[in-house]
Amino acid sequence: MNNTYRELMHKYGRIFGVLGLLVMFLAPTMMWIVTGVSPNWAQLGAGVVALSVIYLPGGLIEMMTYSPLLGTSATYLAFVTGNLINLKVPCVMNATEICGTKIGTQENEVVSTISVAFSSITTVIILSLGILLLIPLRPLLESPVLAPAFTWVISALFGALGYKYFKGNWKLVIAPIVVVIIFSIVMPTFVNGQVIIMILICAIATLVVSKVLFDKKII
Amino acid sequence: MIFNALAVNEVKSAWWLYVIGAFVTIFIISGSLFFAYKAYKQSKELGMDKENIKKAVISSVSFSILPSIGIFIGVITMSGFLGIALPWIRLSVLGALHYELMAADLAVEGVTAANMTVENFITIAFTMTIAIVWGVLFTLFFFKKYQSKVVDKATKKEGRSFGPLLFQSVFIGLISAYFGDAFSKIFGYKVREIVNGSYTGNETIETTIVPLIVFVISFVSMMGFDYLVTKKKIKWLENFQLSFSMLIGMTSAVLLGLGGLY
Repeated sequence: MNNTYRELMHKYGRIFGVLGLLVMFLAPTMMWIVTGVSPNWAQLGAGVVALSVIYLPGGLIEMMTYSPLLGTSATYLAFVTGNLINLKVPCVMNATEICGTKIGTQENEVVSTISVAFSSITTVIILSLGILLLIPLRPLLESPVLAPAFTWVISALFGALGYKYFKGNWKLVIAPIVVVIIFSIVMPTFVNGQVIIMILICAIATLVVSKVLFDKKII
Repeated sequence: MIFNALAVNEVKSAWWLYVIGAFVTIFIISGSLFFAYKAYKQSKELGMDKENIKKAVISSVSFSILPSIGIFIGVITMSGFLGIALPWIRLSVLGALHYELMAADLAVEGVTAANMTVENFITIAFTMTIAIVWGVLFTLFFFKKYQSKVVDKATKKEGRSFGPLLFQSVFIGLISAYFGDAFSKIFGYKVREIVNGSYTGNETIETTIVPLIVFVISFVSMMGFDYLVTKKKIKWLENFQLSFSMLIGMTSAVLLGLGGLY
């Protein structure tokens, strides 16, 4: 990797990250200043602690798991703009697959940055358009007929993406699929309620199998 | 109390919250364009084919449209409780519907849109914002070191290396987990009732086969599009095959719903 470029991206990424944090706090801080009403500190503390029990380790796991796939600048961008698992990571997976770039290469860094950047732009533009067109759009988007389409959008996303990644990797796919099927039968609400933990379990199952096959030179 | 009830609605729909929303949008667009421009310049230095950059842009935009509409529906879902502006801001930067609802629920348990005070609203806004920053903080403080100490070692080994397989395994694990998410719903999933944009506390266990059908139909559609792209050489489809497959999967959910299967 071209180290000057990467160093520069770390620098810009950190600046963007800090600015992002400031921008995130703009709304609550302004509310406090304008109304003169401070948050209820006891409730705030309790709420933050309760959420952090999940989101502190979650944040660490996400950084460790997804940053190698995203590359330098895309990681900083994606961690400020959010929607990692349900949008940015699959978006990058799709773009790098189409462009045929390999993780860890400079070309992959370029493609994943462009992918996350344009994905983020698309999201904020759609949200803004939605706000502007809220009155005509609301009945359409809230209609019970259309509701199932968006309720299950994630299943559609991973189903479509699944083919690209399962194709050519059938030997690796069997183990995690067997694992999720067993978990689903034994404790279904855990499987669909704790997806981040399931991703870890499935990734470990795949890793164990791929290590065995790799050592036996089968793959 | 009456003063508070009136005031909270004024805060929820205050013009300056919308200005902040617009500012957040401009910030995200500017930051994204900045990094995209830097990447584009880098692509020229690397001598990359311009066509690849175009592909990355088109495929990413077309891919992101449907999930983004899903995210916008999240804004509408929360609007009954929190107004429009705050959910808009929250879902533009580092937010997700289930997280925001959970944060609101944990911060001010038992509060509804009808009895919410300004203090409740501000407490919710701060709670949502603070508890989600961990990922950003980890990237700010540890990512660079993690990348050079761990990631580079896994990707830079010469010759036959396990590194690429490591990432392939994470991808496959990710997709398998979401297959599990769809499959396990045949056996049961928790539904937390949402009324007027907040959890009511009522929870039921339901079952459905629809997400699994949607998963399989999207999977098979992708197989069909892949055939058209690779074997029939319909190249333009390449950038849209994922979006089209998703659209077919989502349409099947609508059709199943019309047939009474939810």
